[in-house]
Amino acid sequence: MCYLCEEYGAGGLWYLNPENYARNMYTLRLPDGAPKSAAGAETSGDIAERAKGIVDLVVAMEQGDRDGYETIKGQMNENRRQRGTEGQVVSLEDGDKILELCSPVGLMACVCRKGARAIDERNELEYTCMGMGVGMLKWERWPERYKGGVTFVSIEEAKEWNHRMDKRGFVHLLMLAGAPYIGGFCQCDYPDCSAIRRVVDFGSVGSFGGIGTLKGHQVAQVDYDGCNGCGICAQRCQFGALKFEVTSGKANIDQFVCYGCGLCHTGCPRGAIKLLDRTSLPALVEVW
Amino acid sequence: MVSARKFPKITIDQERCTVPFLCKKCLQICPTAIFSVHGVKEERLKELDPRIDGSYVLSAQRLDKCTVCNRCLDVCPVDAIKIQVP
Repeated sequence: MCYLCEEYGAGGLWYLNPENYARNMYTLRLPDGAPKSAAGAETSGDIAERAKGIVDLVVAMEQGDRDGYETIKGQMNENRRQRGTEGQVVSLEDGDKILELCSPVGLMACVCRKGARAIDERNELEYTCMGMGVGMLKWERWPERYKGGVTFVSIEEAKEWNHRMDKRGFVHLLMLAGAPYIGGFCQCDYPDCSAIRRVVDFGSVGSFGGIGTLKGHQVAQVDYDGCNGCGICAQRCQFGALKFEVTSGKANIDQFVCYGCGLCHTGCPRGAIKLLDRTSLPALVEVW
Repeated sequence: MVSARKFPKITIDQERCTVPFLCKKCLQICPTAIFSVHGVKEERLKELDPRIDGSYVLSAQRLDKCTVCNRCLDVCPVDAIKIQVP
């Protein structure tokens, strides 16, 4: 089972549980007194510190230090879990359901693209990220994190943005901002999005096996009678799960690798790719 | 994942590379996006100005992904990047 649902789902999907969008404005504190980052605006300052784990992983790789590599990876998972900053891939459809549950929502610049490609998104036509919840109302306290500003949008505008991003080919990723509170709805691709890059580069199969990003609740499947081999879907997979199978002349999906983002499904002009519930495939029940 | 292959060493001369968030040439040309740029400090009520020297710092993080294609060297206007092949 998806551990986020187990912990925060109240019997259903964690991201459709309205309680998880109901954080108060102020920083919550963990029982030991350590501040837990609040939704939206209260963000930790040291970006270099956040990247440190990756640099350590790369060093362990270079030294061929298998144990060290696994230890660092485990530690990074544990850190994210403690801070409650994990995320999960969601389909376009589930994204729309999410946007009906949460208010306020504001479009903003993506912090990953800012760091990886020095992209400086300045207005609502450029923003590729969305901050969620009342914490967003104090975004002005952190002008560097919210460089370019924030544009608050209605549910309809938010959905329209989500669909526009889907059309462009971005993966929808829902992020916790101090679990169980949901604080961000990201539009991701490889390699610019650090959440996706980490799991793709450093491994993801198995419950809690990647680094803070879970696969979604669905899995894509090709209807071989409907597929005419046009190849459009193959341009949309950010995870390397979907290939054009030359032998059959059709799309082929490795469902163990598939994150269930549904981009192949929404991009298929013939409706030949459907999304199944992950749990309907016995071998994938524990593959997150 | 664990390779025991020696990765290239990339050094960035911070004296020369002063405005990486404004310049961004290496960040955007790198096919495997190994570079990262970050503001020196994220402070309450303060926004960094990318035009001011040293407000952002460039680093090369994903050395495992560097193919030594040298495109970053070609585009760097201030010759700040050095790559040593192991």
